[in-house]
Amino acid sequence: MKTGVTLFISSAVFSIVIAVAYWLIAHEPVGTFLLGFMAFALSFVAGYMIVAERDADLVGDEKEAAPDDAAGEVLGTYSIHSPLPFWAGLALAVICLGLVVAPTLAALGTIAMLAVGALFVVQSR
Amino acid sequence: MSAAAAVVEPPRNDLLSWITTTDHKRIGILYMLTTLGYFAVAGALALVIRTQLARPENSVVGPHEFAQLFTLHGTAMIFLFIAPFAIGLANFLIPLQIGAPDMAFPRLNAMGYWMFLFGGLIVFAGAGTSEGAAAAGWTSYAPLSEIKVSSGIGQDLWIVGVFLVSVATILTAINFVTTAFIYRAPGMTMWRLPIFTWEMIATSLLIFMAFPALAADLLLLFVDRHLGGHAFDPAYGGNAVLWQHLFWFFGHPEVYVMILPYFGVISEIIPVFSRKPIFGYTGLVLAAFAIAGLSMGVWAHHMFTTGAVNNPFFSFMSFLIAVPTGVKFFNWIATMWRGQLTFPTPMLFCMGFLMNFLLGGVTGVMVASPPVDFQAHDSYFVVAHFHYTLGGGSLFAIFAALFFWWPKIFGVKLGETLGKWCFWLLFIGFNVTFLPMHFLGIEGMARRVSTYPALGNLPILNLIATLGSYVMLAGAVVFAVDVIASTLKREPVGDDPWGANSLEWATSSPPPEHNFERLPPIRSERPVFDLRHPELDPEAGR
Repeated sequence: MKTGVTLFISSAVFSIVIAVAYWLIAHEPVGTFLLGFMAFALSFVAGYMIVAERDADLVGDEKEAAPDDAAGEVLGTYSIHSPLPFWAGLALAVICLGLVVAPTLAALGTIAMLAVGALFVVQSR
Repeated sequence: MSAAAAVVEPPRNDLLSWITTTDHKRIGILYMLTTLGYFAVAGALALVIRTQLARPENSVVGPHEFAQLFTLHGTAMIFLFIAPFAIGLANFLIPLQIGAPDMAFPRLNAMGYWMFLFGGLIVFAGAGTSEGAAAAGWTSYAPLSEIKVSSGIGQDLWIVGVFLVSVATILTAINFVTTAFIYRAPGMTMWRLPIFTWEMIATSLLIFMAFPALAADLLLLFVDRHLGGHAFDPAYGGNAVLWQHLFWFFGHPEVYVMILPYFGVISEIIPVFSRKPIFGYTGLVLAAFAIAGLSMGVWAHHMFTTGAVNNPFFSFMSFLIAVPTGVKFFNWIATMWRGQLTFPTPMLFCMGFLMNFLLGGVTGVMVASPPVDFQAHDSYFVVAHFHYTLGGGSLFAIFAALFFWWPKIFGVKLGETLGKWCFWLLFIGFNVTFLPMHFLGIEGMARRVSTYPALGNLPILNLIATLGSYVMLAGAVVFAVDVIASTLKREPVGDDPWGANSLEWATSSPPPEHNFERLPPIRSERPVFDLRHPELDPEAGR
């Protein structure tokens, strides 16, 4: 995890430097905003990782860990099927299509997406 | 972290099981097959384009149809084939390469695939409308894409279709990074990750930073077209080059989204057929992130001729990218240096990649210079340049990946004889098609024109390019025959037919639902090599 945190911190620092350099050289607002927003977003992720994940204890980070170190109790059947992603993708496509073709279609897609979202929540409990 | 073991459902193979699948391997296969389908369509469109341009003042298609053809061709190749093929390959490979049972968010992963599929179909649906498909190019510049110029519904379908694909790509990138960070097997430290997985992490970071700009740009365009916005119209307080800024803030990193994964592919294959560990593992990883970082600061080199950007800044940043890219080339050559080289089909495609991409890279450095760019801008020289990087580069790496991982994915090997025919036809066809385009550009032929006058060498160079495109078609047909022949033969192949290095080769071909019956100990970035050679110290090979 330390490497991941370092990756985001260095990316954030790089983007801050480049945003400042661009403003000083070009004085151009659109590009400066884009680079500045990128710097903000990366800094946010880096900050989150420092605060919330600095103590993360991952077995993948241990150089000498053996495969059995990750073994745990059997919790149950792991399903590799769910119809919800298909319906969610279809509902989003219907919303997008509806925005172009007919608002009614977009409304139907929104209702379908809300229903799928509710099922996602119920299934995840 | 203590991972809980789980029992997996027994395998099913009916149609419904594919539609409802959340298994990363099946989603990866669906992605790859879908992208190959879109590639077939994009390739067919390219052949019509080349047929139209075979002779001066030709009339196979009219100017408006021609504009639709190159718009759909570019959109399909960039949004629906080259980048998403890497997503499909990464879906299949990343959990296997890091020793995980699946992706971090399997349902989100499946949802991303369906959004991608439907988004692509929506883009193509424009071709069935009365005014035809979008015709403003894959870059869809405003005001060309505004409703005053492009009033047809095809442009709207393009906007929402590409929007759907871009959101799907962002969701998938979140999944890749989370999986690679959190779900690594015991002993698979970050600095033991295969290069392909590293390149996908760098690619995913680029997607986080670049794709939201595209989504925002598309939303602005949609608001302009349907809700009375004037984001790109200076007469109403808008910004004339705002579309270009936002588009290329996405668009240039997108070039690296389309090439970094294939740098990973090449970095996986070359060591296997050189019988050596990759040279400069750390340097390759750092170069990937250097390329990714620098690529965020070069977007306006596409806008040199607008006169609205700081050309020296973007020129300097563009030149800088050549440095980490050169590091990678050095590493690949050094890996082969004094290796026990063999040249089966995947390695041949890697060689094709190196040669083609090098030429594309060199012309890239040329057009990064504003004085050269002012001459070459919007000419066939630029068309040749980006086809050498993305066609000669990414496309050849895609074929290398298909031939290399086909046994792992499907449990059968593609035929070597047909594979070599496929390579040579594609390699010769590609260079016959795109090398003359440099000279067409130098002679002043503009891109995106449906006809041209019979002046100078334009007719002969265009005819040669068209003939080359049909040789490429022959190569693609040979590949299809190879796939059918190997599927019918179904000769069993071992778990590791190449003597490869990374963890996916430690499991069966194809892998079981839960990926691994038993994980080997991981003590280096080549765990399968370590397994074959327990007598060697893993640290000694570095």
